[in-house]
Amino acid sequence: MRAFNAELSKLFSLPGIWLAFLIGAFVPAVIAALDSTAQKEEIIAGVSTRLSEVGYIGLALGVQGIIILGVLAVSSEYLTESSESGGGNQITTSLTVVSSRFHFLLAKASAVTVIGILLSIVAILTTVSATNLILGEYAPAFEAPKLIGVVCYWTFTALLAFGITILTKNGIIPLTVLIINSSVVAVSYLLSKVTKLAFYLPDIAGSNMFMSDGFHTPFTGGLIMFAWVAVLFIIAVIVFHRRDVAS
Amino acid sequence: MLTINNVVKHRGNQEILSGVSFKARPGRVTGFLGPNGAGKSSTLRILLGLDRATSGSALIDGVPFAELQNPLATVGAALDGFGAHRMRTGRAHLRWIARAAGLSHSRVEEVLEIVGLTNVAGKRVGTYSLGMGKRLGMAAALLGDPEILVLDEPVNGLDPEGIRWIRTFLRERAESGKTVLLSSHLMGELAETVDDVVIINHGKVVADGTLEEVIGNHSTLEEAFFALTSKNNGDGV
Repeated sequence: MRAFNAELSKLFSLPGIWLAFLIGAFVPAVIAALDSTAQKEEIIAGVSTRLSEVGYIGLALGVQGIIILGVLAVSSEYLTESSESGGGNQITTSLTVVSSRFHFLLAKASAVTVIGILLSIVAILTTVSATNLILGEYAPAFEAPKLIGVVCYWTFTALLAFGITILTKNGIIPLTVLIINSSVVAVSYLLSKVTKLAFYLPDIAGSNMFMSDGFHTPFTGGLIMFAWVAVLFIIAVIVFHRRDVAS
Repeated sequence: MLTINNVVKHRGNQEILSGVSFKARPGRVTGFLGPNGAGKSSTLRILLGLDRATSGSALIDGVPFAELQNPLATVGAALDGFGAHRMRTGRAHLRWIARAAGLSHSRVEEVLEIVGLTNVAGKRVGTYSLGMGKRLGMAAALLGDPEILVLDEPVNGLDPEGIRWIRTFLRERAESGKTVLLSSHLMGELAETVDDVVIINHGKVVADGTLEEVIGNHSTLEEAFFALTSKNNGDGV
């Protein structure tokens, strides 16, 4: 519990985390607002084919904030100080304060999970409000099971980013790959046009928890994404446990 | 009590440590000396559970670091660099460490006072000078008021005033019965501070004893150090 408190304290005292909060809280709402505006006429006319996606599209595409959260929680430990100061990094301090590496990772993952859940709830509130503001009485009703799916999707995404960064020890690669995939070029989406196997990728499967045209049922989709998180976390724990900090 | 017992460390094809053994006892300041790259930091990292020994053991009061219940209250460590994220303030850095050990915010203010950082505690670590960063590392090591201190190159980069402060401080710690192990490649600064000396060169301990024993027939610790380390190199003097 102490280690968990320390991890929360670390995250909240990092300026970069506020950028993650800002992006996480507002980007989904902006995407949802733009999409709702574009769809408004068709929705009012009752001919929209995408009514079930309205609002949720922002929550599916606007995961950059939560990715930054997961990456930053780990990459901040490995950020090398200037060579003038001896080129140390925070991980040496962290691991001389908490003697068990497993407890350290567990505490960190728990802190990311808790903040991830809170951030996803904030994002849902802003996104639903933005959608209602634009579509008024034509806004679709947001159902609780789907919104819980969104919370799971966001939290799992943060943990995937977290696990990958444990393996790379550096934030740049996971940040670039995950953010590009979520927003600019959806590699996993394109792959799904080529092979059905791509439906088992974590982001595609996970989005089935709240996007209705899915290949999997919401429950199966969530389970597949959780399996990715669990496997990655086990690999990260093993690698992290064996790794010399100096290497 | 710190007990390093026949520690061997391989990295890739290189043997960095070849059977290092020594002890650091309570009530004494033990100086762990050697040229750069001799294996000082590697030994300390293994002692603190940061790196893994290929064989041998490094024990803190009889147990490996990973088995300590509350590490901060047992052993305080300051290794290379500041050990802090540059975007965080000095105070925020110490506060998360205090949280991890279940210590209060008032203890953070106490250690800031001890190391003389109170006035800059609200500034980001990235703006600190080398000396200030070293003091921050010391503050972190002192938070849990541990029985044992492990310091890697504590005087490196400090101004004369800082060096004097650290000497006095470490002498006081040892005289109150605590264990202090510090590494350094600077001989002059240390001769007045240490009780026991361990000299390492090329991953092997080449001398281990009290300051007087290690100096032996040489005029100073520095002379003894060069005699021991260059002999081991096979260069001759």
